[in-house]
Amino acid sequence: MTQDVKITVDTSALRHNVAVLREAVAPHAVMVVVKANAYGHGAVESARAFVDAGVDWLGVADLEEALELRRAGITAPILAWLHAPGETFESAAAHDVTPAVSDLAQLEAAAAAGVRAVHLCVDTGLSRNGAVETEWPAFFRRAAELADRLPIEGLMSHLSNASPEEDGRQAAAFVRATGVLGGLGVEPRLLHLAASAAGLSYPGTRYGLVRFGLAAYGLSPFAGRSAAEWGLRPALALSAPVTTVKRVPAGEGVSYGYVFRPERDTTIAVVPVGYSDGVDRAASDRASVTIGSRTYRVRGRIAMNALVIDVGDDPVEVGDDVVLFGDPAAGHQGAADWATASGGITYETVACLSGALTRRYV
Amino acid sequence: MSTGYLRRATVDLAAYRANLESLVERLAPVEVLAIVKADAYSNGIDVMVPEAVAAGIRWFGTVELEPALRLRRAGIALEASFFAWQLGPDDDYAGAVEHGVDLGVSTLDQLERFAEAARDAGREALVHLTIDTGLHREGCLPADWAELVTRAVTLRDEGVVRLRGAFSHVSETSEADDHAASVVFRKALADAEALGATFEKRHMSSSSAGMEHPERRFDMVRMGSNGYGIPVTEGVSASDRGLRPVLTLSACVVRVKRVPAGTGVSYDYTYRTDRDTTLALVPLGYADGVSRRAQHGVEVTVRGRRYPIVGRVAMDQFLIDVGDDPIEVGDEVLLFGPGDGGELTIGEWADATDTIPEEVSCRIGARVPRVYLGRRG
Repeated sequence: MTQDVKITVDTSALRHNVAVLREAVAPHAVMVVVKANAYGHGAVESARAFVDAGVDWLGVADLEEALELRRAGITAPILAWLHAPGETFESAAAHDVTPAVSDLAQLEAAAAAGVRAVHLCVDTGLSRNGAVETEWPAFFRRAAELADRLPIEGLMSHLSNASPEEDGRQAAAFVRATGVLGGLGVEPRLLHLAASAAGLSYPGTRYGLVRFGLAAYGLSPFAGRSAAEWGLRPALALSAPVTTVKRVPAGEGVSYGYVFRPERDTTIAVVPVGYSDGVDRAASDRASVTIGSRTYRVRGRIAMNALVIDVGDDPVEVGDDVVLFGDPAAGHQGAADWATASGGITYETVACLSGALTRRYV
Repeated sequence: MSTGYLRRATVDLAAYRANLESLVERLAPVEVLAIVKADAYSNGIDVMVPEAVAAGIRWFGTVELEPALRLRRAGIALEASFFAWQLGPDDDYAGAVEHGVDLGVSTLDQLERFAEAARDAGREALVHLTIDTGLHREGCLPADWAELVTRAVTLRDEGVVRLRGAFSHVSETSEADDHAASVVFRKALADAEALGATFEKRHMSSSSAGMEHPERRFDMVRMGSNGYGIPVTEGVSASDRGLRPVLTLSACVVRVKRVPAGTGVSYDYTYRTDRDTTLALVPLGYADGVSRRAQHGVEVTVRGRRYPIVGRVAMDQFLIDVGDDPIEVGDEVLLFGPGDGGELTIGEWADATDTIPEEVSCRIGARVPRVYLGRRG
């Protein structure tokens, strides 16, 4: 049953990670990104922990995410950068949310709504949000004209992480943007380009503010490198109790499609977690879990509400706590291990966890 | 200025009712149980259940007990039976008795706990005995079946248990395997009858088997994906079955930009434009349930035309290459739906992203607002 499937979030790890990241990028300011339900960790409670730990800014994708935090009483500065067509920014103005704007229409709407300030978003090569270089003169000129009533607080862009060379090219474009803006007499207080990957690895991409997403949750943005290398601690563990234990004779099929047929008599245990909880079905027959200090393989196809593990001849019982992933330092599988098993990335493993799961904060 | 929304999952309730009405009619006199597990495949159980009742459904399957109890306490569909069978070690048997929720019981321990709760409350426990016919998840192994049935018959005779059903779940591995499972099920029923058990509802088939094998319908068929207009049988489309997909996933273009040939797109620049072209940004990402496998050629539909997703799908957004077409900010982008606007169906989307339509449906994230069409009058 769903309330038995638990996400446990160690808020002391969230606070610890902020301290580590602040020190790593000092004297620059730190924004922690809490979009997508704080990468699956639970937006409100995670944001509270980050604010407690002294982050300067919270970042979200869209205004609705920002409003959720405001409704919960969080007063820290919040930046939002992904807006619906025709967004009026009235809710941003009413709730003191700072929009990052990517084009003239957004800029004008933000000015009309009377938001406290804006950050200008430029595309330096990722080809997603942000004004492209040919648009900068007109975009920046209008921003400069409006600056008396609409403060230009920041300038931002986002890296592609394609390679150090590409990121360097983007950084150069970013510097050009500050130059164009400076030529118009606008010098935003907060310049921010780097997110977790570049913030940790390329000091040259740090300006006044660094945006941390995955790293703040204690997870590594790099395949093959552990977050522990930077002293970061994973905050989230996903667990559930065994609901069924069953002895299965050699050769009999298990779960849909019978893709698993044990070669010897074995014991299988059913764990009430499935793809509707956000566990990728592609991890079927590949991922592992732990019970106590023992590691067991997921066997057969992951179903909507259940998966099956092979526990061999071990004395596993109904009610035993199964940890799907958590802190590798505690002997658990990491979110990165599940990402590898499902052919995905760590970001996806945590951000796709269902919002309906019970989250417990310790 | 263009206007529009960010992202949206549209649920066509009229299609849901029509699908269920059609299934009820085709399967009569066999009872149809509608599966509403996983928040009704993420469509919203509180909304879907009353619609199903209006379509004539009187049985619902929730897998877990908790959602059934929640609906009971909210007074939703009190005239219907709710059936749960994946029970936790500390599940609320007393709640199941109090609210008259049917439970699939696999072990003596579960049976005794349910019976004890019934004794305490002075009411009957509504029991379905679960036989494992090969799936090896829930269910009593055939070797232990006689003991479970014997105890259930005793408890029935004491007035503590009502034998509502006998059920199994099949693996859908192959016709031979499913046939073998049906043989095990028939034998289990015969053995139970010999021990004095009779069941009100015997059920082993879910969507596919329920359609294709009338001899395996017994008294009730559990319909999951068919109700949502998602055919799960290989090579069978929803329209082949006279069903209509219930769910449409869409977003509006939030940004359009003209880029030169050779422009890298999204993380890692896994795609570079091979000509001057226009890119459109779509505000749906993997946190919203758009798999990262949906890249490089998986197509979405704008203004009736298909365009490929290019570059990596990110957490909140992806890009499409619209060539020289006059796509504008605010244009609606259809990822999948019933296909009326030329868009992929959920089955085609699942194929393109290397999974099954049920996973696509269930993993649409909480950040995507559900919009309901065609509420009953």
